[in-house]
Amino acid sequence: MSTDTNLAPAMPSGEQARIPLSQRLSGLGGNARQYGIFAALIVIILLFQGLTDGRLLKPDNVVSLFQQNAYVMVLAIGMVMVIVAGHIDLSVGSVVALVGGIVALSITDWGLPWWVAVLLGVAIGAVVGAWQGFWIAYVGIPAFIVTLAGMLIFRGLALVVVSQTIRVNDDNFNSIVSGSLPNFLGFSGDMDVVTLVIGALTIAAFAIAQFRARMQLRKHDLHVEALGLFIAKLVGVAVAVGFLSVLLSLSAGGMPIILVIVGVLIVAYTFLMGRTVFGRHIYAVGGNRPAASLSGVRTKRVDFMIFVNIGALAGVAAIITTARGGAAVAAAGQNFELDAIAACFIGGAAVTGGIGRISGAIVGALIMGVLNMGLSIMSVDPSWQQAIKGLVLLFAVAFDLINKRRAGTS
Amino acid sequence: MSAVDPAQVGDFTDQQHDDVEQVITMSTSPVPLLSMRGISKNFGAVEALAGVDLDVFAHEVVALVGDNGAGKSTLAKVIAGAHTPDSGLIEIAGEPTSIPTPSAARTLGVATVFQDLALCDNLDVTSNLFLGREVKRGGLRDDGYMEATARRVLQALNSRIPSVRTPLSTLSAGQRQAVAIARTLIGEPRIVVLDEPTAALSVGQTAEVLTHIERLRELGLAVILISHNMTDVRAVSDRIVVLRHGRNNGTFDAATTSHEAVLAAITGATVRSTPRLHALR
Repeated sequence: MSTDTNLAPAMPSGEQARIPLSQRLSGLGGNARQYGIFAALIVIILLFQGLTDGRLLKPDNVVSLFQQNAYVMVLAIGMVMVIVAGHIDLSVGSVVALVGGIVALSITDWGLPWWVAVLLGVAIGAVVGAWQGFWIAYVGIPAFIVTLAGMLIFRGLALVVVSQTIRVNDDNFNSIVSGSLPNFLGFSGDMDVVTLVIGALTIAAFAIAQFRARMQLRKHDLHVEALGLFIAKLVGVAVAVGFLSVLLSLSAGGMPIILVIVGVLIVAYTFLMGRTVFGRHIYAVGGNRPAASLSGVRTKRVDFMIFVNIGALAGVAAIITTARGGAAVAAAGQNFELDAIAACFIGGAAVTGGIGRISGAIVGALIMGVLNMGLSIMSVDPSWQQAIKGLVLLFAVAFDLINKRRAGTS
Repeated sequence: MSAVDPAQVGDFTDQQHDDVEQVITMSTSPVPLLSMRGISKNFGAVEALAGVDLDVFAHEVVALVGDNGAGKSTLAKVIAGAHTPDSGLIEIAGEPTSIPTPSAARTLGVATVFQDLALCDNLDVTSNLFLGREVKRGGLRDDGYMEATARRVLQALNSRIPSVRTPLSTLSAGQRQAVAIARTLIGEPRIVVLDEPTAALSVGQTAEVLTHIERLRELGLAVILISHNMTDVRAVSDRIVVLRHGRNNGTFDAATTSHEAVLAAITGATVRSTPRLHALR
């Protein structure tokens, strides 16, 4: 906390007051949108917490929220990169079915160890992605058409591979989704200590990363968020993560393995998009493809790589889906592409490309997940659930658009 | 939004000036920095360039003028490496060379601002300046270094950009042009090609861009300015090279040549001054 006192003198309240409000808000820039989506998630959680008489946030329900929605989050990570680059991928659901079928076969019929099957699944996903990436990047066929074709091709192949349900009776494999981290640190009261430690480490890592980013900005004399807002953000995240860890630690198993996997993917891809040259090039390609190309960005390679990437992530989603069901079916992954696309757009990605964030897509996926779970707990008819989710998608994007227009005119 | 903090404008110190001078090392030899001989380029049956010659020296702004379809932009794209000429010789600082790709042009010290600004609206100023040539440290982007350089380059141009983290979408047309010109200064260029930099700009913004062009000359670069606007051309250029139907149609000294003589060369009119040409002004 000593860092607070270091920061305080650089931000005297007098200086703060001189800046007109409009400028301060515009200084908030893209962050405002980001905070908005987090706020929406919290509102929806609180709403359903009330509507379900507190059942939504029962520890075991929170665990199954992550288990049920892990595939959307994994796919949304890949999808937001595709959307930022100005493309779309309609094939991920079919790829999930195909890869899921091959992974299940490789364990049951070919006798591969579960971890080899997992690697194989990711690799096949990447190969499928390379196939689609080739047509999109190097032949120049619009992604919409290539992946629409892919949707048919891979669903067809999935039906060939999985003629009937393939059961997977490998506990190691199935525990990828159903399992929890072993609680080798014991319990504190009813709480699993491993979960609490992971939560504490997450908060610490987030705070350190934020402080370092802020120091970096300050070192280069760049605009930083108001100190109050910065602290509010840290406290907000600490409370949210802390609360979540306590909930999870009270669940039957403790820390779900799947949440660790998804968490690692989120951090890795946020880093890739935010801090690497490749990430910057994805945004550039989506923002102005000819300009990026003239500037020396290898746009074709970028296009190719993001489709290889979403293919590999579809492989991960296939493993998750198969492990969760304990079986592969040819109909697996139905509408997964739509879930992932919806998550991205709720999370603030732009249809025109160039704009979108991993964190936004994840929050978008969580909003859809909480809606699903809340409505299910309230035993709302599934048909109505679908209609409600559709409306939420429409309103979220409309709200975003109206906000942007207002910001543009002021 | 458009209010500019006075503290951020115009405090361009001599020290910073020296820094930039050091970044952009110049050769001030009598040999032209860029010399093109007999450049031809056909697009199918269309003869875009037919044996064009062009010399540009350091510390010089050469205006390339001509009517629509005279081949100005094609010549610019040849210099930028976006088009390969069908025939002709290119020498840079006396060395015979070829410019097959935009990145080859960049290595040779040729920087181009294209007519349709090659900028990404969704990225900030720094990202645009370094797009395609990001500076890395330990495999990651060195954002701190790039931002510091971006600020120095913008200051060298006396440009009024509020912050190097401003997204391009919030900048005015003039500011974007400034970013596009500043982009050329990244990576030690010797020759800068500006294709219609003042098209679609307001009077004030045009004046600002013209000052930036003068700054490029002061920094010792060879500047090729392509423009339709004779007023702009006469305001900043040292020499005026006229193209007509893909051929050279006269080179004029900007300080001494009359407006009418240049216009006549552009339109192909043999008579020097007619009332109709005045009306064209």
